[in-house]
Amino acid sequence: MSDILIGILSFPAVLLLIFLRVPIGLAMFLAGLVGLVLVTGDSSVPFGRLKSETFTTFSSYSLSIIPMFLLMGHFATLGGMSQALFKAGESWLGHRKGGVAMAAIGSCAGFGAVCGSSLATAATMGRVALPEMRRYGYAGGFSTATLAAGGTLGILIPPSVVLVIYAILTEQNIAKLFLAAFIPGILAALGYIVVISIYVRLYPESAGTRPRVAYPERFRALLAVWPVLLVFGMVVGGIYLGWFTPTEGAAVGAFGTGLIAWFNGGLNRASMAESFYVTARSTAMIFFIVLGAAFYNGFLALTQVPQEIANWVVAQGYSPVVVLVLILIFYLLLGCLMDSLSMILLTIPIFWPVMQQLDFGFVSMAELHAVRAAEALREGIVLAPDILQNIQDTLAAGAELTRDQVRSLEIRGVSKGALDRLNTEQVAIWFGILVLIVVEVGLITPPVGMNLFIINAMDRETPMVETYKAVMFFVVSDIIRVVFLVAFPFITLMLIPW
Amino acid sequence: MYEFMLKISRFMAVLGGLMLVALIFLTCASIIGRSLNGMFHSDFFQANLAGLSQWGLDIGIGPINGDYELIEAGVAFAIFAFMPLCQITGGHATVDVFTSGFSLRANRILRVITDAVFAAVFVLIAVQLYGGMLSKLRTGQTTFLIEFPVWWAYAPSLVGAVIAAAIAVYLAGMRLMESLTGRDLLPADLGADH
Repeated sequence: MSDILIGILSFPAVLLLIFLRVPIGLAMFLAGLVGLVLVTGDSSVPFGRLKSETFTTFSSYSLSIIPMFLLMGHFATLGGMSQALFKAGESWLGHRKGGVAMAAIGSCAGFGAVCGSSLATAATMGRVALPEMRRYGYAGGFSTATLAAGGTLGILIPPSVVLVIYAILTEQNIAKLFLAAFIPGILAALGYIVVISIYVRLYPESAGTRPRVAYPERFRALLAVWPVLLVFGMVVGGIYLGWFTPTEGAAVGAFGTGLIAWFNGGLNRASMAESFYVTARSTAMIFFIVLGAAFYNGFLALTQVPQEIANWVVAQGYSPVVVLVLILIFYLLLGCLMDSLSMILLTIPIFWPVMQQLDFGFVSMAELHAVRAAEALREGIVLAPDILQNIQDTLAAGAELTRDQVRSLEIRGVSKGALDRLNTEQVAIWFGILVLIVVEVGLITPPVGMNLFIINAMDRETPMVETYKAVMFFVVSDIIRVVFLVAFPFITLMLIPW
Repeated sequence: MYEFMLKISRFMAVLGGLMLVALIFLTCASIIGRSLNGMFHSDFFQANLAGLSQWGLDIGIGPINGDYELIEAGVAFAIFAFMPLCQITGGHATVDVFTSGFSLRANRILRVITDAVFAAVFVLIAVQLYGGMLSKLRTGQTTFLIEFPVWWAYAPSLVGAVIAAAIAVYLAGMRLMESLTGRDLLPADLGADH
């Protein structure tokens, strides 16, 4: 058997193991181990790698952001941030038709700004908002579906654990990915609110009413949200402005939320131990998958399968958008069965080389010249009037600058290589956000959307079928959003500086 | 026995959590030191508060040397320490849509095989980690900045790995007993909650 064949066959083998309920990390680990033995014909190679690879995988500065973000999310709950957010949302929106549900979405978005995980957001906000929705006469399935969908905002709105993993797999800048996720995250929340207002008009009996809240009380409720804004601003702003690395940002965030929880009396020995347990379980689960994936991907890279697949796809000459859409559909389908992190770790090493080879033509050399020239002029470079006029004419015509013009402007970073790197980065960011959204849809699609299970388990009176029915409205909103983001990459990329 | 194993796992999780908190404090202290250091070096402070700035710099206010290396060593320990709890509470991510249609007996047999393989893998990881530690000890490799021996970081991680392996072996044994006697001996999994 050739190496490539072994590599290709390993993929269905991993899926088979996973579908036989073998833990996903273990399945990838085994495939990597067996594959390495087959390819090298020697068991000493994979065993030797294990001597240091487990340790170096866990001993990672960039991955240490994950347990810190997880702990931060738990501290945020202990600090009463989830209640404060929901209360603020409820007092402003509660009296509207479907308003308590909208408040739940809004507070999920707010909580997503301090929590990097969907399931944690769904679980936390579910505990706070579900009893309230039921109290004001909202239908069971509608309430659970709203919160399950709202939970996905936890990972769309930065910080986001899945984006951290994606950034590491594709070697991209975490700060830029966080920034890019921001607008799609807000769009998601708005989309869900639109869904709610449509739903309550189609099924008026599914939403109850809630009395209007007086303005002074509304502002008091809004004021109570300041810790969330502060922490979010510190973490995401600080990372973005380069005050600190993403890992440092996570540490600052965990410290800040911990301090707030302590001041609010939410942090004692028992609750601290409890947050350690939950963080421990999630962290260990994630890192075991990361370990398995590292082993599996090491093997795949050795067989050259990802590169071969990428070359093959490019050789077929499909249009890049078609390839992208097919990949996204694949994620939607797989997402019905598997969790988001495992999917990303299993598939990005194969799909990213493909995406990298495709030419989406985001930025042309002329555009790059125009931006760099504008920067140079803003920094006050002095040019002879005729040369300046010449440059302005060239740029106005949308053409590339000549070599002499580039030299006279003293601009750098406009080589062919720089343009390629820029385009690769843009595609990576855009693709990352799209993948993030479609894998998150998997959390709310039947039959195994984890968010649906978590929320449904909190409300024993509501049968799962009711949740399934109502959540389809939210899934449709997600799909419409993905179509938009595919059609207009600008929406995702506009905040990203070149 | 189960209670005892659970207790050890929880104890390890708390140790790992405390290590994580220590790393968070360390990182924040390093950021504050770095900012203050930058401030003391700024033109404004040098011109107007030269005495204070000099004093601050003299007592060594600045970023913590080698914070990066300490985080890498510490987080490895934390993650190894987190493994046992995830193992004993069945926290690993799985896909059970298909197997939920299988019979109880088939599920038990699958579970015995899976857990046995899992145990073997954890033992392998622990043994190889021990081997890795010995080779770091032999070569005397140190970290780049603060030059502490790399095996120091391996040793505490090994504790977590060994406990995780012991728990995995225990669980595999119990699963085998379950399938032989047909009785439930272990509590149901808590499921994954990431």
